[in-house]
Amino acid sequence: MRRRVVVTGMGVITPLGHTVADLFASQAEGRTAVGPITRFDARTFPTTFASEVKGFDLARYVRDAGRYEHCGLNTHFALAAGKQAVEDAGLADPGKGDRSRMGVYLGSGEGSDEFPALVRGLAHALPDGAPKVDAAEFTKVMQVWMDGPREGEQEMYTPAGHLAAAFALDGPNQACQTACAASSQALGEALEIIRAGDADVMVAGGSHSMIHPLGVTGFNRLTALSQRNDSPRTASRPFDATRDGFVIGEGAGLVVLEELEHAKRRKATIYAELTGYGTTADAYRMTDPHPQGRGAIRAMADALADANLKPADVGYINAHGTSTQANDSTETAAIKAVFGDLAKKVPISSSKSMLGHLIAAAGVVELVISVVALRKGVVPPTINYANPDPACDLDYVPNQAREVRFRHVLSNSFGFGGQNVALIASRFVD
Amino acid sequence: MTTARRAVLTGFGVISPVGSGPAAFWAAVRAGTPGVRTITHLDPSHLPSRMAGEVRDFSAKALIDKGYRRTLNAMARTVEFGVIGCQLAMADAGLGKGAVAPERIGVEFASVMGATELDDLGPASRLSIRPGEAAPDMPAWGRDGLEQVPPLWMLKYLPNMPACHATILYDIQGPSNTQIPGDTAGPVALGEALRILRRGAADVMLVGGSEAKVHPLSLSRFNLFAQFSRRNDDPEGAIRPFDRDRDGTAPGEGVAAFTLEGLDHALARKATIYGEVLAVAGGVDRGLTGAGLARVIRNALAAAGVQPGDVDHVNAHGTGTTRGDAFEARGVAEVFGRSVPVFAPLSRFGNLGAASGLMELGCSVLALKHGELPGTLNHAAPDPACPVAVHTGPPRPAARPCAVKLSYTDLGQCSAVVIRKWEG
Repeated sequence: MRRRVVVTGMGVITPLGHTVADLFASQAEGRTAVGPITRFDARTFPTTFASEVKGFDLARYVRDAGRYEHCGLNTHFALAAGKQAVEDAGLADPGKGDRSRMGVYLGSGEGSDEFPALVRGLAHALPDGAPKVDAAEFTKVMQVWMDGPREGEQEMYTPAGHLAAAFALDGPNQACQTACAASSQALGEALEIIRAGDADVMVAGGSHSMIHPLGVTGFNRLTALSQRNDSPRTASRPFDATRDGFVIGEGAGLVVLEELEHAKRRKATIYAELTGYGTTADAYRMTDPHPQGRGAIRAMADALADANLKPADVGYINAHGTSTQANDSTETAAIKAVFGDLAKKVPISSSKSMLGHLIAAAGVVELVISVVALRKGVVPPTINYANPDPACDLDYVPNQAREVRFRHVLSNSFGFGGQNVALIASRFVD
Repeated sequence: MTTARRAVLTGFGVISPVGSGPAAFWAAVRAGTPGVRTITHLDPSHLPSRMAGEVRDFSAKALIDKGYRRTLNAMARTVEFGVIGCQLAMADAGLGKGAVAPERIGVEFASVMGATELDDLGPASRLSIRPGEAAPDMPAWGRDGLEQVPPLWMLKYLPNMPACHATILYDIQGPSNTQIPGDTAGPVALGEALRILRRGAADVMLVGGSEAKVHPLSLSRFNLFAQFSRRNDDPEGAIRPFDRDRDGTAPGEGVAAFTLEGLDHALARKATIYGEVLAVAGGVDRGLTGAGLARVIRNALAAAGVQPGDVDHVNAHGTGTTRGDAFEARGVAEVFGRSVPVFAPLSRFGNLGAASGLMELGCSVLALKHGELPGTLNHAAPDPACPVAVHTGPPRPAARPCAVKLSYTDLGQCSAVVIRKWEG
């Protein structure tokens, strides 16, 4: 028999709450966190708003917060969400259990370049009239202007490494970056690590912030972001005909995944069972999804097969629902292809309508919302839904949460680069 | 013994500072050709450490699939290395586009966020710094600078782009993941690919790693926080693994990529087999004591069903850093004592970061295949803090069937890979 894997702890840092309870309450009430960018002066950017984490203080979560002063928000958010998750699971005491059987799998965003120093160095090394930046001159001034300790904490492995150290998680330590699918892929592959017997507990999820000048610049140049600057709060409008791009968000989510017998032996609270995982590649383009959603279709179908379920068993779909033209119509078509006539009956909603898009952290935060929805029998809405789009003609639970009892939830995540992930969480039945 | 599906390496693509392609790479590794030299990609005179393992004859334009050439404008050098490495591995494996059913082949790639090309942000920066000011004028950046940034700027550097391009080039529709845990990323990718094959989610996995650290921004950063050797007058002798006089490492660049294939699938198509991957284990050594690394090595050996006596050599990361080498040696010594020789190939080509693990593994794969273990370059004076027996000098016959490859980060993330010679 395959090893079963359950969720025994959850933690989040999001624009809509720094606890799972606050996050879900905000989602159920249809609140939004989107507002003007405060992290830097973005008044002249094509997009001036985002979904920011506010009022965050690392010292509330870790005793030695000063130790992480040079780290980026990706590490800070991960530590805070990780602390909540391991405490929630009753695994915060580093002397408890075999820590070498407990690992980390983080879908983590990159650290960020130190924007002021970088821009200053580049401008200095590119005097008026020069055709190219003088690389040698650049290296010379950067040795003075760049902050070494800070740079040393911006490596791709930094957040996952600190998570392991802070919470004594000595088992397999992985970090992946598949853009907007990253934390869902981390959850899925962490599930497989436990199934394969390589660990008993995986603290898995993601952490990311791209609300910095280069992040917003990059997405603006790709014209991926909504530019509804006169109405930020209604800018994230998944499946609405007038949607014009996603809203950039930030945050972290971490989930304690645990082998069932291990969880039972220590009498852990079981929130749900992670029953299905499907992962595919579109093999199509760098940013656009395959027009028929072929990768998304197979990811959902594979997750159903993995969970040994039929489409009729799924009572709620937490959509990727980014509020871009391409994603929302393609995802709709893919759901129809998998669910057939049932597609119109299953409630579908996008957490991003309220949260914005947490990029690498999006998938795990949406899985947490899905698990709470499963337990409470409440499906959060898709807010800002006003104008039906003929290409998006399913039940998106517009604007009002709905009470629905269901046993299985499907959560989709698709990323730039063509990675597709579908996860299924199920009400736990022994 | 486990009844898990067996997995073998059937294709190898490599572009390295000492040679490209399996034959040239092996000839150089066997001969002990040094690849760390004074940097030429840029004038390094303002950097404290001025050496690197550079790939000096690389032209993505010449090597890339002709139908895909126009996409080069959306690839940074690290992505170019990755994509070409994938092409070389697939060609070496005899696998063209469509040779494997699209949903039965996947990709696991070890990568990083690439450092921005200076000229991509230079003009925007110049428009945003007022004379005499240190901090950028953000409204000027948003108003005038931003539109100077190339539209596809972000896509050139994303870590998952090598895998993305590989999926498009070869119609790979199975799992696609990109691993980013630093110097362990390659082994981690290999381990995940092994799990994917064993759970039956694919028959072939393209597994690679690439990085291009010889870049003005990367070098500026690493010189501020990494221990880089200051032996600028002796680049070839700069990286001294486990040597008493070691004073740091040096960066390198390149790509190593393999096809990892279910043995059943490889035999059915009569593929040439380089070697077998028995197990990959991972874990964390908090505080770099060596005990955690030893645990990871033991887990890998146990998962592989291999005794220490079956191990021909330990292929160490051996970066030449003071703390790193001592830590790694303690971990190796705890498991093997001095009974198994240590081979550290990194001193030949530098630390390739996300490409390091698989590039170094490639040396052991070829050593077992050819039955000869080359010596470690620049290990002359043993260090009591590194209680291991380092193999130096000319190649010696490979005496035993297995090798263990180690990788780690400075935060203690560790991995161990166990491979076995393919006896046919």
